Amino acid sequence: MIAAALYLARCSLVNGLRRRVRRLRQPKYLVGFAVGLLYYYWLFIRPRGQSGAGMIHGSAGEVVAMLGLASLIVSGWLFGSSRSPLVFTPAETHFLFTAPLTRRQVLDFKLLRSQLALCLSSLLSVLLFSGGHFPATRVLRVLGLWLVFATLQMHSGVTALVRQSLEEHGITAVRRRLGAFVLVAGLAGAAALALRGQLGALQEAFADSETLGFDTLNAVLHRGVLGVITWPLAALVRPALAPNFAAFAARLPAALLVVTVHYVWLIRSSIAFEEVAVESAERMASRIAAWRSGRRPPPPAGAAKRARPPLTRLAATGDPVRAIAWKNVQAEWRGSGVRLPVLIAIGVIVVAWVASLGEEAGTGLQVLAVMFLALGGMAVVFGPYALRNDLRSDLQLSDLIKTYPLRGADLVAGEVLGPVIILTVVVWGCLLAAFASSLVFDVPGFGVSQRVAALLAAAIAVPAFLGVATLIQNAAVLFFPAWITVGPARGAGVEMIGQRLLTMVGSQVLFVVALIPAAIVGAVAVAAGGLVGMSGVWLAVPGAAALTATLVFETKLAVAWLGRVFERSDPAAEIGG
Amino acid sequence: MIDVQGLTKLYGSLVAVDDLSFAVAPGEVLGLVGPNGAGKTTTLRSLVGIVQPSRGTIRIGGHELARDPVEAKRRLAFMPDEPRLFDYLTVEEHLRFTARLYGIRDAEGRIPALLRELELAEKAGALPDELSRGMKQKLAIACGLLHEPAALLFDEPLTGLDPAGMRRMKQTIVERARHGAAVILSSHLLQLVEEVCTRVLVIHRGRLVAIGTIAEIVASRPDLQGRSLEEIFLSLTGT
Repeated sequence: MIAAALYLARCSLVNGLRRRVRRLRQPKYLVGFAVGLLYYYWLFIRPRGQSGAGMIHGSAGEVVAMLGLASLIVSGWLFGSSRSPLVFTPAETHFLFTAPLTRRQVLDFKLLRSQLALCLSSLLSVLLFSGGHFPATRVLRVLGLWLVFATLQMHSGVTALVRQSLEEHGITAVRRRLGAFVLVAGLAGAAALALRGQLGALQEAFADSETLGFDTLNAVLHRGVLGVITWPLAALVRPALAPNFAAFAARLPAALLVVTVHYVWLIRSSIAFEEVAVESAERMASRIAAWRSGRRPPPPAGAAKRARPPLTRLAATGDPVRAIAWKNVQAEWRGSGVRLPVLIAIGVIVVAWVASLGEEAGTGLQVLAVMFLALGGMAVVFGPYALRNDLRSDLQLSDLIKTYPLRGADLVAGEVLGPVIILTVVVWGCLLAAFASSLVFDVPGFGVSQRVAALLAAAIAVPAFLGVATLIQNAAVLFFPAWITVGPARGAGVEMIGQRLLTMVGSQVLFVVALIPAAIVGAVAVAAGGLVGMSGVWLAVPGAAALTATLVFETKLAVAWLGRVFERSDPAAEIGG
Repeated sequence: MIDVQGLTKLYGSLVAVDDLSFAVAPGEVLGLVGPNGAGKTTTLRSLVGIVQPSRGTIRIGGHELARDPVEAKRRLAFMPDEPRLFDYLTVEEHLRFTARLYGIRDAEGRIPALLRELELAEKAGALPDELSRGMKQKLAIACGLLHEPAALLFDEPLTGLDPAGMRRMKQTIVERARHGAAVILSSHLLQLVEEVCTRVLVIHRGRLVAIGTIAEIVASRPDLQGRSLEEIFLSLTGT
């Protein structure tokens, strides 16, 4: 089994590299490769004249690593998906599940195959924080992180199996695992109680000095019930923090014990999962039979992906452009998880709450206002890259959308409109929330009237900004379909990183170029506003309106042009090639 | 209904389709056959506006595809070998979406009837992921038929279907032709072509090799007398 896994890994790696090297004959990949190499050098290897952020010495390092690991594990249990990190490719499924192998052997195979990627991730993580210095002892950190990543992978596998089991068997599995849940809840409660008793001492220690604070926290985390709970975390992170070979060797056995326990846990969970499935043996048997006969297995009860109710119902008659925009909004709504928004909301609430504990009144809301502004800004900057339910996704179905009885310009407009609508709503929400939060505190020289003006100006300009940025991304995929990822699959390799960087820089340059005439017209409008008696921040409102009008005009011209490009193009052929 | 004159498609120096001319009248089913790489798919993709021909004209219902693509496509439906569906639209939403694109006025009444007719009513709220291959195919057909197209193009329509699905598909093709649609069917399955098509167009290396009923083709080539369709096909294409 090990030999087969190694053989597959070696062949895949060698053949993959060969193909990439062959691809470099094409100039676009060669340029991308050069830019990608520079990027990696700048990010990982460039000397930066410091020891690197990764070197947090003493108890602070251990505490930070333990808490980071704990938060990953807890968030995995709370918000993790039922999709195992050990996902089998169709080829693996075809070859492994039909081969005379036990379930355990199949899992071993998958675990072994994934180690190369985990090792590489550890190496890159260490390089990223190395500050350009890589002494021999950093190898220990790579090995230590590899152990951490491998354990996290197995832990995620267990989490996914439990979730899958719960989804498939509902209350039955809940009862079966009730004991485990009670145990976890009990441990969490005990930990909270133990920590509560030490809060005073911890506050005093941190007030005295950060080092003393972390030393005290480290001591608290290793005492009593907390010590029992945190032992596996500490055992796992310690090798990665070892300062020398002797310390690494001394800490390794405990870490390996944690790894081994996780391995056994994963294998046992896998078997337990099958045992739970026995309760619905008939269904399982039909699924296996369907699988083996090459038919699509019937979806397990409760496990099929259910469609979220639509945000709005599409009328069967009306403007087709709006129908396409509606489709893309639906895709984003149904395709995106709730995890990220929930995590962001929790983060915002926690930060604001912590800030509100300060002595100065209103600090929490000030922080909240700033955070909402930052979130809105991030949505404007990164949203058009992140939301891809437009031509970047639909060009996969170009054989379908090119048969629609629509002008190319109408199709492009509808495609772009979807993500713009979503992002506009998000940004407007952030702006409104920031504005509402700001109402309870004073900012010298920036009263409520000024804030209303700023809100209005921003609200007017945002859709146009988003429209231009999203349109540029769609134009890029139409002109350079081989450079932009179409659909969910993302290309890998140094050359693809370089290509992404180049397209990102190109997009930014194009955005600035589009902004220049709009900014000139906006400046004229600001001057005109001054002439009719407007002043201060209120001048931004006519400025934003003029800027928006110009951007909308530019966008319309660009959409008409891109429509013609779309009609003439055969993206499927280029993507395929 | 479908009129093709001098259709040529070049990919660089490669001639994928070379000066192809033919017409399909309402009620006719034209079988497009040829070996792999003969240019069948390129021909179909050109006919539905996915790729632009290098030369030649295509008219659908009197509307030239290059000059008046919207009106031409309004009369067309293309059924590729793999159903192309949107991951995050339900069965019913696919039909509503299609109705909007094609401007179907009485869609509100037609959609439930079509769902019942294709036995998809119970799955109206399901996403494509929840559907079997056959159901996906049915949904793709429903979307294609919703606007009652005058010209229908099928590319390997029986791919992946079970016997019942195959029978339904053949019935659909024949019924649509009977109701006046012009149908082009591209397939390697010569039995299907023989069973369903009224005429056959044999294409090889992008060029038209023969067109007509099987009897007409045989009449033009006395050496093919008494041979099976498979032998006729192999002889015509020299494969």
